[in-house]
Amino acid sequence: MNRINPIQQFHKHIHHLNKQFLRGVKRKYPINPKKADELPVFQYSPSKDTYKRVFTWGNAQTGALGLKGLIDKEVLSLRYPKRMYVGERFEVLSAAAGFGFSIFAIYSETNVKLYGTGLNTDCQIGYHEVRNGHPLEVIFYPQPIHLPFRDPEHSKVLKVVAGRAHTLVLTEEGVFTMGNNSYGQCGRKIIENEDYLRSNFVNHIPDIDGSKICDIEAGQDHSLFLTEDGSVYSCGWGADGQTGLGHYNNTEELAKVRGDIENEKIVKLASRSDFVMAINEKGDAFGWGNTEYGQITLPNNDQQLSNPTHIAMLNPIGKIKSVASGGSFCLALNEKGEVYVWGYGLLGLGPVQLTKKPLKIPETLLGTNDFQPTCKVKDITCGLYHAAAVTNFGDLFTWGRNKDCCLGLGNEKDQHFPLKVSLGGHVTNVYCGIDHTIALCDPFI
Amino acid sequence: MTVMQLTLAIIKPHIIKNPFSLDGIRNHIISSKFKIIKSKRKYITLKEAEHFYEEHKHKFFYNRLVTFMTSGESDLYILAKENAIKDWRALMGPTKVYKAQFEASNSIRGKYGLTDTRNATHGSDSPETAKREIELFFPEFDYEKWFRDEQFQFLKNDIKFDKENFVHTIGNN
Repeated sequence: MNRINPIQQFHKHIHHLNKQFLRGVKRKYPINPKKADELPVFQYSPSKDTYKRVFTWGNAQTGALGLKGLIDKEVLSLRYPKRMYVGERFEVLSAAAGFGFSIFAIYSETNVKLYGTGLNTDCQIGYHEVRNGHPLEVIFYPQPIHLPFRDPEHSKVLKVVAGRAHTLVLTEEGVFTMGNNSYGQCGRKIIENEDYLRSNFVNHIPDIDGSKICDIEAGQDHSLFLTEDGSVYSCGWGADGQTGLGHYNNTEELAKVRGDIENEKIVKLASRSDFVMAINEKGDAFGWGNTEYGQITLPNNDQQLSNPTHIAMLNPIGKIKSVASGGSFCLALNEKGEVYVWGYGLLGLGPVQLTKKPLKIPETLLGTNDFQPTCKVKDITCGLYHAAAVTNFGDLFTWGRNKDCCLGLGNEKDQHFPLKVSLGGHVTNVYCGIDHTIALCDPFI
Repeated sequence: MTVMQLTLAIIKPHIIKNPFSLDGIRNHIISSKFKIIKSKRKYITLKEAEHFYEEHKHKFFYNRLVTFMTSGESDLYILAKENAIKDWRALMGPTKVYKAQFEASNSIRGKYGLTDTRNATHGSDSPETAKREIELFFPEFDYEKWFRDEQFQFLKNDIKFDKENFVHTIGNN
């Protein structure tokens, strides 16, 4: 029998392909080489300025990643960033990552300017029901959230922040709050034994004593508001002093934070857990709340601080541009783009450590090298146990505890020093939750 | 003859709000061969919480604990096993979550705890406190009667598991 050896067959095939390749593309009507230069050159169509790619990764069980395919395949956690359809369908302006849920603010002229996905046991992503009286506790892919706008056509969502089980939405019409209010973190009266799952109540804070709210921040169970004149107001859980009001009680009505920041013009607030950091326009840092891990060293070893205090140990690092406060550690970014860390945990400087003095993370670990000497860190943020830095080159670096793969580095291991995340876009914003992370990226072209 | 021990386990409010964490912790309890004698979900009132944490009254974290425990519903279980108190505390892991996540990352607190206060679970620390705590939250439960009448069936494994109410009941298999 005349059998052809499979290897021979393969070689024959390759030979055939090669011949075809060498001959070049065969055109029916060959281009006149003289006229080839005159032909128009078409550019790739650049993306719209407002287009953002949205990537999510981390714990997939809670539905916070908003990727339906993962739920069907029963994936528990996603190790790599994956693109989400929300960014393709809408113009995403901002996002927020809470404890097991995500919120996306989109551009729209209707009442629906938010989409939410994930845990909804406290109605923190709005009221959704399968049928009358059966609210959904978990939502697996983004659902519209209706907010009571007075003028939906012209109002825009400016920022969203999420705590453990509550959401704050900063809009041009003021702040809307939803979700758990058991400590007063929504800025409304605490109702004993309130059933938040069925409450479907959105609280509206138009302004504070006539001044406009320009920034918001949510800790796990407390909320902070910044007005245009640079004053800070707070509400919610104050058991560690995180409301900064000089006492340790729950606060239902927004109250002005005094202490060292009373006469300062605050420009930024940061709080993921029970310690709050603030910076004024001169670049000085202030802090209050739980300082069990040396976030601020207090003279008599106190672990709680209810009066905002200037963090003097940060003076030597220069003008501070941005701060981040995680569960047991803090980060500060100065004007030169240097990142300093202190506290307890995986700080990005090797194994678990406790340091009460700010330590600098070497620039080389954050992307500054001989190939890109102008690279510097643009912004920092953190979750409860992990931290993230974004550079001016649009790269994202993460480090810390890899709870449910929230670092997005492709493995389950804790990361002892900053490492670049592989993402398909120039990162502009990062939102760290507890066990998941969201990144907004500009497309490459 | 071996004697069973009882302990009170509290699943704290922030876990009740996350059905996936709650399921995870329940699986830990079952796979560690604990028997659930009684189980209930309730709002712990301020008075109960203050009474419950009486021993910490003068510590700086007392107010924090009490306000946290009254912030939502909790699950209360009476767990039985030969060395229930010690085993349950071992399963929970270190009190401080920020440390537990590195030192005992497979423990309940290492996995499901959020912060040092929101540390997922509570367990009695000695037979005396276990008795006191059980009597506080389960006044209808007769501690002596259980050891006298029902312990034997649990030792014999003559019990059924009611998955819906998350409790073991005496009955023929």
